[in-house]
Amino acid sequence: MAVMIPLAGCASSENSGKTEIEIVQYKPEAANYFKTVEEQFNATHDDIHLTINSPNDATTILKTRFIREDYPDIIGIGGDINYSYFVDAEILTDVSDYAGLQDINQGYLDIAEALELVPVDGTYIVPYVANAAGVLYNRQMFAEHGWEIPETWEDLLSLCDEIQAEGILPFYFGFKDTWTCLAPWNAMAVELAPPDTTKQVNRGETTFTEQYRELADKYLQLLPYGPADPFAYGYNDACTAFARGESAMYPIGSYATPQILSVNPELDIDSFVMPACDDREDRTLNSGIDLGFCVMADCPDKEAAYEVLDFLLADENIQRYIDDQNAVPCKSGEFKLASMLDGMQEFIRTGNMTDYQDHYYPSEMSVDALLQTYLIEKDLDDFLATFDKNWQRYNRDIIRMVQEYAQNH
Amino acid sequence: MKHTSSIGKSNRAVMVLLILGLSTIVFPLYMTIVIAFKQPSEMTNSISGILSLPRTWSLDNFREAMRVTDFWHSLRNSLLISVSTIVLSVLLHSLMGYALGRNKAKSKFYSFVYLFIVSGMFVPFAILMMPLAKQTAELHLANWAGVIILYVVFYMPMNIMLYSGYLVNIPMALEEAARVDGASTWKTYWSIIFPIMGPMHATVAVITALAVWNDVMTPLIIMAGSGENTLPLAQLNFQSQFGTNYNLAFASYLLSLIPILIFYMICQKQILNGVTNGAVK
Amino acid sequence: MKNDRQRTFLLITIPILALFVCFNTIPLIRGVIYSFTNFRGFGKYDWVGFRNYIDLFSDARVGRSYWFTIRLALVTTVVVNVISLLLAMALNSKIRAKGFFRGAYFLPNILGSLVVGYIFNYFFTYIIPALADMTGIKALSSSILSSPGKAWIGVMIVCAWQAIAMNTIIYISGLQTVPEDVYEAGGLDGATGWKQFRYLTFPLIIPFFSINMVLCVKNFLMVFDQIMALTKGGPAQSTESISFLIYNNGMAGGQFGFQSANAVVFFIVIVVISVAQMKFSSSKEEQL
Repeated sequence: MAVMIPLAGCASSENSGKTEIEIVQYKPEAANYFKTVEEQFNATHDDIHLTINSPNDATTILKTRFIREDYPDIIGIGGDINYSYFVDAEILTDVSDYAGLQDINQGYLDIAEALELVPVDGTYIVPYVANAAGVLYNRQMFAEHGWEIPETWEDLLSLCDEIQAEGILPFYFGFKDTWTCLAPWNAMAVELAPPDTTKQVNRGETTFTEQYRELADKYLQLLPYGPADPFAYGYNDACTAFARGESAMYPIGSYATPQILSVNPELDIDSFVMPACDDREDRTLNSGIDLGFCVMADCPDKEAAYEVLDFLLADENIQRYIDDQNAVPCKSGEFKLASMLDGMQEFIRTGNMTDYQDHYYPSEMSVDALLQTYLIEKDLDDFLATFDKNWQRYNRDIIRMVQEYAQNH
Repeated sequence: MKHTSSIGKSNRAVMVLLILGLSTIVFPLYMTIVIAFKQPSEMTNSISGILSLPRTWSLDNFREAMRVTDFWHSLRNSLLISVSTIVLSVLLHSLMGYALGRNKAKSKFYSFVYLFIVSGMFVPFAILMMPLAKQTAELHLANWAGVIILYVVFYMPMNIMLYSGYLVNIPMALEEAARVDGASTWKTYWSIIFPIMGPMHATVAVITALAVWNDVMTPLIIMAGSGENTLPLAQLNFQSQFGTNYNLAFASYLLSLIPILIFYMICQKQILNGVTNGAVK
Repeated sequence: MKNDRQRTFLLITIPILALFVCFNTIPLIRGVIYSFTNFRGFGKYDWVGFRNYIDLFSDARVGRSYWFTIRLALVTTVVVNVISLLLAMALNSKIRAKGFFRGAYFLPNILGSLVVGYIFNYFFTYIIPALADMTGIKALSSSILSSPGKAWIGVMIVCAWQAIAMNTIIYISGLQTVPEDVYEAGGLDGATGWKQFRYLTFPLIIPFFSINMVLCVKNFLMVFDQIMALTKGGPAQSTESISFLIYNNGMAGGQFGFQSANAVVFFIVIVVISVAQMKFSSSKEEQL
């Protein structure tokens, strides 16, 4: 593998004896931030040369590079099933000896641990930032009408009735883009289903029909509070509509705020935790690892990789990232959060957070499309039965692996 | 001359229909242009809002789009890949179309090769992606040269079909006359057949250019990590899952539409020239 | 002389065939090998024999995608060929501003799919329902893209809108091979309009007609971009095309092995359809 392949990274040290470190990270929306980090790092380090790529469609790029065995040194990915697969494929290296892990919020390390298909020794990701999903609301509109933030399911429904009575649309949905169907689902699931539902199912201890019935039923109750035909509008339509004050609330993650603000920079957005439960004390924030860094097993110079991680994890860089992307830091310490996270501050501070259920769903099962079908057809039993059936079908190899593990341990 | 009046009438009817049909193109184009000039804060979901003219006709979006896509650099890569693919396609595919087209009716071997290559058109790209990513890397072709080779192979089936279809209407007598004069087949091809296929070259060039110009997938998997972009690859920068800047994207797409449109206008004259030259008789 | 001709043909055919085998056939064979594994696209994998193929035939989602794709391909092929042929003849007739019209009708094919997706989404979501409300047509008052029963029509319209340009070009270049004197001779016999087309023009452009049919059927069976731009498989999984499943679940998801098997079966299906098509049209060619 020589000259013509652009081996920017491992093992090559063309840059006058410097160690080359290449990062590929999957959030193109943060490309500008990473460009600056790259420049600052290179300006202050003589021994290491850093390259950060923020391509669109990084999953495809990473997979094609893996198959060519042209590994970057560090990858920046989300804490979802792809991470689980990468750990299982043994292409990541154990970073438990990395000193910076001490400063990471234990909650996020636990989330990462839970993502392993079967328990594996060691730590394979350094959680960087998290996102939080609940309900975004138009703060000014709420203040004008004197609406209270709901803290239980009952509160939420009566608030919706109140808003509707004033001739305002309570929610906007962009269900034409199937993935948005997962946002309210995840936010409600953290309160209505055990966080390890999927693992329990894999071990054969329960079924989704049992665990998801209340959740699915409640989800359907939100529909009348949205637009007449929510399946006609996409994510972008919903962002625009919410930005233009066409609805009071929008159940989506904090990641939507830049798109909303691009349409209406004046909008005052805040958020609250989706109250799906009947007791306000049972509420928990839906939050997971949005971006974490994994060092590849193939990386020849782990020390250099750690030095890069140190730089990325410096407080001022994290602060810049969260200012830029309205994210939640995974590192403990005093960070200033974006104003649209005001309503979630307390949960973040106390660590009352639970990971997204969909981080455990294999993407090829298309749970988002199943949800969309359910919301259109409104057939609860059929949805739950299909969910269970498809789960077994799409996770056959994983279930076998989990059960083998259980037998041997 | 005596048919003038009836021709005139039917032509007027054709004109009316063509103009009506044009509305299906003018309307989307109008939307593209106004959106390309607007700011994100001018985007709405109301029809009057989206169809209204932009507040100012500023070229800022175009400037910014050029900056984001590193326009001249990406354009150069796109041109390099497209032009090379087109030239190689016209040369190689016409030759192959000739060899197969002239022989497939009487030779089992050539008819098999013809069907073999044409059926290559139906291979779903997704199944080739992984193996190709691996194979191009093994052959040190994970770069623009690899992309060009792959295009020449991908569009071979379609172009060979086109060329051998065109040959059906080119009489053998033309070649036989040259052969009587003692010219070799190779020479006859370049001096007689190749020029006659002019309109087909133009057609193949346009169709190949179309397919190549907007293609994302091939450069994405082959050139991934090389740090080089084609225009469509650079244009991916405008969209991510959680946010798309339609205004910049539309401006950028309008810009990248110009070269291919010019190319088409040149080629479509060529497609016509075939007749006026009286090449095919 | 004869030998020179045969040798030249072989010297042309062999190297080009070799290139084709190297970058099409060999990767295809490698892909077929993956279809017997549970490969995710990276890391280790196991051989699973024919399991993927057995699964394929019991997978309702795959079955639905075949039905959707084949129906879409057939309808769109007919629509596109009728319109393209008419358009090609119109653009080939003696009209004013020919260059302008040819340029304009070419545009749909070069607009990027992000643009096409946005505009047609807008069109179906907002404009058509508003027009329907104004004119009181109930059936169109909600977006056809949000209806599992009707969304395929939206996809069909966009596919046709984009594909007409290319098929028209092929028909136009076909019309160039029709010698003028055929019309002159036909004109003397009183053949005009439909008769002239049916008995003079059409027989001469049959090779182009069959090329267009094959290309259309192939392009629409492999429909992917328009699905991504317009519906992403929704609503309620009603517009998941075969290529959409192969790419999304195989390449973007973790089902690479299984979807490779899907691709192999799909490949065989298209080859069978297309070869039948070509056999049929070449027999027609000989008849005429």
